[in-house]
Amino acid sequence: MELIKNFGLDPLLLGAQIINFLIIFYILKRFAYKPVLSVLKKREDLIKGSLKQAEESKKILEETLEKEKTILKNTQKKAEKIIEDAKNRTQEIARETEEKTRKQTEYMISTGLGKIAQESKELEKRIALKVSKLAIEFLQKSMQDVFGEKEQKQFLDAALKKIKKVDWYED
Amino acid sequence: MFSFQSEAIFHLGAFRITNTIIDTLLIDIIIFAASFVLAKNIKLVPGLYQNIVEIIIQLFYEIAESVSEKKVKKIFPYFMSFFIFILLANWSGLLPGVNSIGFFEKGKLVPILRSSTSDLNTTLGLALISVAATHILSIKTIGISNYLSRYFSLNPINLFIGILEIISEITKVVSLSFRLFGNIFAGEIVLLTVSSIFAVLLPLPFLLLEVVVGLVQALVFSMLTMAFMAILTTPHHDMLDNTRKARH
Repeated sequence: MELIKNFGLDPLLLGAQIINFLIIFYILKRFAYKPVLSVLKKREDLIKGSLKQAEESKKILEETLEKEKTILKNTQKKAEKIIEDAKNRTQEIARETEEKTRKQTEYMISTGLGKIAQESKELEKRIALKVSKLAIEFLQKSMQDVFGEKEQKQFLDAALKKIKKVDWYED
Repeated sequence: MFSFQSEAIFHLGAFRITNTIIDTLLIDIIIFAASFVLAKNIKLVPGLYQNIVEIIIQLFYEIAESVSEKKVKKIFPYFMSFFIFILLANWSGLLPGVNSIGFFEKGKLVPILRSSTSDLNTTLGLALISVAATHILSIKTIGISNYLSRYFSLNPINLFIGILEIISEITKVVSLSFRLFGNIFAGEIVLLTVSSIFAVLLPLPFLLLEVVVGLVQALVFSMLTMAFMAILTTPHHDMLDNTRKARH
């Protein structure tokens, strides 16, 4: 007991120091460690989350680029096919048009030739008619002074018959 | 000359307000102020003060984690609190005016302030809390039966070891308290003696030495507490297994 007293041990002081430290312990735990550790954890989570997000974004970007490449490739193929089809179609249309034109031309030529032949015939007929009229007129005028009216008539009728006969045969 | 017993400055009834109690209260004010300022201004993007505190806390948390692994959340607050309080108490004795400003009573200087850890009441109180907290944590973590199996067994050899363990728990209190008290008290006597021989420049190397001693003693006390906690929160049979594995 003497030894303890020499060292200045006092139960009241000892109790006070124990209570004091327990209060300090609580204050530090409540107002220092807890908020700091929670902020550190939050920050760590935030950094981890951001890194993860960045990694995911990078992955998505790579995938998008890959998709873009594939889409471009496919589009290029499609475009090439469309161009090829268009070329083929154009050639086909050109061929069809050519064929159609050729047929139309042939038809036009054949119809034209028929018309020309018909018109030539009509012209010939008209010429023949004109020539007949001219011949009759010429005969009338030539016979006016030479023959009498009766003879003229007989002669003209015979001539007309002959001309008509020629016309009919030629038709 | 210096006495082991802290000197009473005034009395509150039967309670003696000693110079070490005043020193403890000053340390309390510093710790409270620092904690409240930190808690009030804590942000995700830290300022200079928060940054410094975060660095220190993270450093000590990592040290505690390396020793206590999964039990770090329970052990760390004790480890850090012991360190902060003891460090401030040790260094408070080195401030100008502490141990030197006071009044004379019966021809003897009674300093108004005296380092808190140069009082055995403080160091013994801290040691008692350390050991008690260790045992409470141990019971909470490994269970009462596992805890008791460390000290009591039907096997006579283990029973003998258990008795030795109980003695070691008592010596823990004595060693923790007296180591801290002895170092700081002796340091203050040395400083006082040197200062009384030649007050200019001569105490400077001793002051620097005491700065280091204060830091080391705070670390020793808190590290030992952490180690004791880590050991006692590990089940007894797990520790025996680990020892056997280490031998092989």
